[in-house]
Amino acid sequence: MKMIGMDATPIEVLLVEDSPGDVRLTREAFKDAKVHINLHVVSDGAEAMDFLNHEGKHANALRPDLILLDLNLPKKDGREVLGEIKESSALKSIPVVILTTSASDADILRSYRLHANCYITKPVGLDGFLEVVKSIDSFWLSVVKLPHEPRS
Amino acid sequence: MLTRKVHLAFGSTIVILLVVSSVSYHSVVISSESDRWVRHTHQVIETLENVASDMASAESSERAFALTGAEPYEEDYRANIVSAEQDEAAVRNLTKDNPKQQLQLPALDELMAQQIRFGDMAISLRQSKGAEASANALRSEPAQRIKDKFRSVVRNMEGEELRLLSLRNVDAKQRLGQTKAVLIFGTVLGLLMAAAAGGWSIQRDNSRRVLAQSLRDSDEQFRMLLDGIQNYAIFMMDPLGQVVSWNAGAERIKGYRADEIIGHSFACFFPPAEIEQGRPAEILRITAASGRHEEQGMRIRKDGSQFLASVTFAALRDPAGKLRGFSEFSHDLSDSKESEARYRGLLEAAPDAMVVVNQSGDIVLLNVQAEKQFGYSRDELIGQKVKNIIPEGFAERLIADGMRSATDALAQQIGTGIELVGRRKDGSSFPLEIMLSPLESSDGILVTAAIRDITERNESAEHLVKTVRELKRSNDELQQFAYVSSHDLQEPLRMVASYTQMLAKRYKGRLDSDADEFIAFAVDGCNRMQGLIQDLLAYSRAGANGKPLCEVSGEDALQGALTNLRITIEQSRAVVTHDSLPVLRTDETQLTQVFQNLVGNAIKYRSTEAPRVHISATKKDHTEWIFSVRDNGLGIAPQYFERIFILFQRLHGRNEFEGTGIGLAICKKVLERLGGRIWVESQPEKGSTFYFALPERDEKR
Repeated sequence: MKMIGMDATPIEVLLVEDSPGDVRLTREAFKDAKVHINLHVVSDGAEAMDFLNHEGKHANALRPDLILLDLNLPKKDGREVLGEIKESSALKSIPVVILTTSASDADILRSYRLHANCYITKPVGLDGFLEVVKSIDSFWLSVVKLPHEPRS
Repeated sequence: MLTRKVHLAFGSTIVILLVVSSVSYHSVVISSESDRWVRHTHQVIETLENVASDMASAESSERAFALTGAEPYEEDYRANIVSAEQDEAAVRNLTKDNPKQQLQLPALDELMAQQIRFGDMAISLRQSKGAEASANALRSEPAQRIKDKFRSVVRNMEGEELRLLSLRNVDAKQRLGQTKAVLIFGTVLGLLMAAAAGGWSIQRDNSRRVLAQSLRDSDEQFRMLLDGIQNYAIFMMDPLGQVVSWNAGAERIKGYRADEIIGHSFACFFPPAEIEQGRPAEILRITAASGRHEEQGMRIRKDGSQFLASVTFAALRDPAGKLRGFSEFSHDLSDSKESEARYRGLLEAAPDAMVVVNQSGDIVLLNVQAEKQFGYSRDELIGQKVKNIIPEGFAERLIADGMRSATDALAQQIGTGIELVGRRKDGSSFPLEIMLSPLESSDGILVTAAIRDITERNESAEHLVKTVRELKRSNDELQQFAYVSSHDLQEPLRMVASYTQMLAKRYKGRLDSDADEFIAFAVDGCNRMQGLIQDLLAYSRAGANGKPLCEVSGEDALQGALTNLRITIEQSRAVVTHDSLPVLRTDETQLTQVFQNLVGNAIKYRSTEAPRVHISATKKDHTEWIFSVRDNGLGIAPQYFERIFILFQRLHGRNEFEGTGIGLAICKKVLERLGGRIWVESQPEKGSTFYFALPERDEKR
């Protein structure tokens, strides 16, 4: 069995984030990542579902190994996206990391209830933010074994 | 006094009468006695004469015999002797009670015996010696002497009798004289006494008559007085409670005429329930025992209607103390003018509209407030059906409750206001609340309704509800606003901060030193801004989650805070101590938050010594708990005691101590929401003690 990330096969990460600034920061942060990551970015919830369902302009999208999902998204809200992902038999096995500015207990609880795999509040400071992304990398992409479903 | 005299006089008269009659009787006895004595004396004399004559006869017979010697003469002689002896015996008998006479008797006897001897001798001489001898014997001296003596004795005795008789006569006469005197005197006295008795008796009769007349007069006056009293029933009963007298007031109050009720028991004035319980008899018993009894109670009139009466009973006794009967004095309370006036006064002065309604639903009384409330004048409403002003609910209740006694029905509703709708004269309606109370009157049970217009009350209640709703909404909006704005502000701020920091990182040393400095200030500005927004967010959320209060251990809350602060405590080598803390009804999270802020501050604003913090709690007045957090830190100058609790107010620069000045503001907000308060006592360089109070919501209090 192929081991993901240990060889040249990059890990596909889908980042669902509407703030370009945050997107850029995330990219910067993953630059120092241990593993080779292909970062795919969609900026709203609808586009995220298209990507995951291989629809519209994302017909040829690759299935992500990890989803980083912001909650406050235009068009379709991140909470809805979470719900849809975890309902879908095809998609529910993909780990979803909620990465959002919201620290509200309600959002945290709701996300876990919707079977988010974990919830991270974006730190306000740059360093903090970079740290967090790095830890996602070292945890989710190095320590954790991600499920491998055959790519269609 | 007069009676005694009369009695005395009559008594004396009788006594005198008795005396007189006994004295009369006595005189009769005396005279009959003297008659007897006379007879007696004559009898004695006669008998004595007989003796003498018999002896004389005997003598003649002797002589005859002496002469003739004829047998019959001897027989005569013997017969005469026998007769003389018989007579002598009779004399003896007759003079038995007379010693003096008795003394003579032996002599008489002797002389007779001698005569008899002579006689016998003469007789035997004739037989023996012949006539001459016997005659000589008889004529002899001795024989003659004896005969003479005999005769003188007889005469003495007779004389004695006569003497006695005359004595007795004198005595009797004397006695008769006395008797006569007594009789006369007695009769006169008796007559006098009788006259006196008669006189006094007449006098007494007169005074009695006068007395009786004056009694009748006063009785008449009294009766007029009683009849003049219309408002009080005054009547008398015999010891068994039968009515014996009745006044006009009683007729008016109880409804019975005198002729209808006299002779009947007063128990018929009582309600049947009380008669069954034996109340009338009990009242008589109590009155007889204590002399007097007062009470208030229900009574029944002739027509069956009931009324409340104030009644006084008194026991009537004669001078000897024997119970002669009872008097009752009663008063119909329901038509007392005084109480009515008072009632009207109260009604008029009441701040609410008062309407009095009878059982048929007619308005019988109302006050000026009622006029104002309904817009009618008094005259327009009195006599009208209450339905006209309260179309539904009131009248129906009256009628529906007619089955039970009105008192029972109304007793249920006392204290509970009934909400109904009233209608004014102009046709407009308004909500009202009525409270009912029963009123007993001579016209039956009336209902007094206190009516309050609750339009305003309802409006205020509505207004209150609306206002609260508004406030809630406004609060929610503000919360929302605070949350949203700080949340949304965060985003662009993060961008600025992050990228300026990126700049700093990426290009440090590759730009000139000015650029470094500029970037440094920019970054610092952003950081501060972020801090402020975070705090603002925290402040807006503080105390807002509103969990229900429950029993919280103060010690647990403190431990929670200390756990959160453990790194700070370790790093500063702080020593935190506490007294036992109470359990109280509050929000645990918020209490923890307060402890965390205060202990955190105590450690942060330390002096050169290692920080020592002590927490304690005391109960004040059973109403609240006062906690204290005492430190040995820098202390605070008094002029800042108020300022430090204001949001973002700091006493030190950012260079000295980090922080945004939000901690105490949050504490204040949280505590005030919990019904408490916070303040500080401190001296610069002497440490500070922060106090906060939380209410003791002990329901067992």
